[in-house]
Amino acid sequence: MNNRFFSLLRKELVDAARDNRSVMAGLYYAFFVPILVAGMMMLIIDKVTSPEDLNITINNAAAAPDLIAFLDNQGIRHSDDKSEVKAIQIIIGATYAEQMHRGEPAEVLLIADGSEENLQSAIRETQKTLRSYSSEMASLRLIARGINPKIMNSLNIKMQDQATSESKGGQLMAMIILFMLLSIFVSGMNLAIDTSAGERERNSLALLLSHPISLRELIASKVCAVSFFGMLGLVLVLIMSKIIYPLVPWQELGFSVDISLNFMIATLIAGVFIAIFAASMQLFVSFMAKSFKEAQTYISFVLFIPMALSYAVTFDLATDELRWAPVTGQLQALIDLMKGKEIPLLQLTVSCLSTLIISVALVLGMERLLKSEKIVFGL
Amino acid sequence: MISVSNLSKKIGDVQALDGLSFHAEDGQITGLLGPNGAGKTTCLRTIFGLLKADQGIATINGIDVAIKPVEAKQQLGLFPDPFGIYERLTPREYIRYFAELSGLSRRGALDATNKVIDDLHLEDIADRRCKGFSQGQRMKTALAQAIVHKPKNIVLDEPTRGLDVMSTRVLRDMLRKLKAGGHCILFSSHVMQEVASLCDRVVVMADGKAVAIGSPQELCDQTNQTSLEEAFIALIGTDEGIAA
Repeated sequence: MNNRFFSLLRKELVDAARDNRSVMAGLYYAFFVPILVAGMMMLIIDKVTSPEDLNITINNAAAAPDLIAFLDNQGIRHSDDKSEVKAIQIIIGATYAEQMHRGEPAEVLLIADGSEENLQSAIRETQKTLRSYSSEMASLRLIARGINPKIMNSLNIKMQDQATSESKGGQLMAMIILFMLLSIFVSGMNLAIDTSAGERERNSLALLLSHPISLRELIASKVCAVSFFGMLGLVLVLIMSKIIYPLVPWQELGFSVDISLNFMIATLIAGVFIAIFAASMQLFVSFMAKSFKEAQTYISFVLFIPMALSYAVTFDLATDELRWAPVTGQLQALIDLMKGKEIPLLQLTVSCLSTLIISVALVLGMERLLKSEKIVFGL
Repeated sequence: MISVSNLSKKIGDVQALDGLSFHAEDGQITGLLGPNGAGKTTCLRTIFGLLKADQGIATINGIDVAIKPVEAKQQLGLFPDPFGIYERLTPREYIRYFAELSGLSRRGALDATNKVIDDLHLEDIADRRCKGFSQGQRMKTALAQAIVHKPKNIVLDEPTRGLDVMSTRVLRDMLRKLKAGGHCILFSSHVMQEVASLCDRVVVMADGKAVAIGSPQELCDQTNQTSLEEAFIALIGTDEGIAA
């Protein structure tokens, strides 16, 4: 690398940094995504940990005061306020008290539309509560007759959950890390278009190529500049995550998202490879495009590829194969690190290498493109 | 010295260059005169190695552009049309950047930039970003870029297009100065006045060929006309695409 490379790189960086609109558009993602995720998580946790009371219609409640008290304890109660009542109705049978007294199954009618998606969990909840009241009463009756209620339980099922608190939140963690890595792609995107398709549209590409520079120097400087802004996005998203995520009460979900220093360093190292890959891919695509607009369209299509692959990882599809692939390999290694597992070094190395090889191939491809008159003059 | 021999180039279905041959000497201003679509820009792009000729060669100081592009381009300065200004850079940054790309050291580029800013009286705009510049200011910036590294050969593509009288005069004076300094200047134009007043030699182009080569006076004599314009029309056989 000689002086010309640094001249090219310096200009690319200065020119890009002054393009406020592109820089802002790139970095807003890195800035807001942690805030958005944290906000969403807080809402979800709030919902999960404090289940709302279930308001339903209960007819003939006077016949079964004990059952009503039991339901009320579990948060299920009668309400006349139409706006908050769920379309579930419990009708206590007319002969309920009498049947109860005689030790016969007492009639309780549960009326609800089972095809209604929104009611599913409320119906299940009501059924479960009624069933547990029923078995409680049954136990009492057995005791009254001098029989140990344990006789009713023929199986003793014990569940041993092997998930550590970190591995439980696997999917969520995968999502959070995926969002971090995507910030590399988003942050460099506008710049990549501006410095390739934009350069041609402003007629400076032909002027540049009229100077005694090698294509490789030119492309290398552009890849470096775009990667730099991609990494800037990653650094920003990491700093934001470090500040924002500790505010979320993760322990309520049974796991923790710890943005440790180790994790940050590992992400930055893996990020360098992804940034180079993202930059060369985005530049390649925008050089191929005939205009700025076309480049914008293509680049958002291309963004789908790493995104789709990464989603496959978050939903556990073809996970083992994707450990070796670019982007998804780094993603999985980082997920493992956050879960507190050991990092699969071999796979990580291979995936970083494959990321690099693809980037080099793309750079060589661009060199070919820029030798073509059609590409340079957008013919 | 820029020399072009038997250059042919087809773009799409159009034969843009068809066996074009001429040369531009050092210490002379050579004008490439032709109607729109005659192949002037294609010819200049081929000289810079941006287009590959199907046939024939272009040499700069004897160096074949197609074989040694970097060496050949080192001897060239380009004033392009359109200018290709970076709107977010200042002229000082812009000129220095291209000076470095042309092979000057960082220090050397800085000195050369200061010199050319002085020569072209660019001080008042040198540290403003190019966005919003007038056509004249852009022209000066582009011209500074083309000559900052003192190339032996300077190529200008339609240099006076869109310029007012003052800017045109600045440009003409600069070209005369460069000529006096022994530089080889080649420019394309379809404006008669400009060619007539500036050029030592005129290459009249039509349909990708050189139809006549000579000084403005020689062209008039050759066609028995009194003005270059009449001579030109007599040479290419039509007055289409010509600005008086």
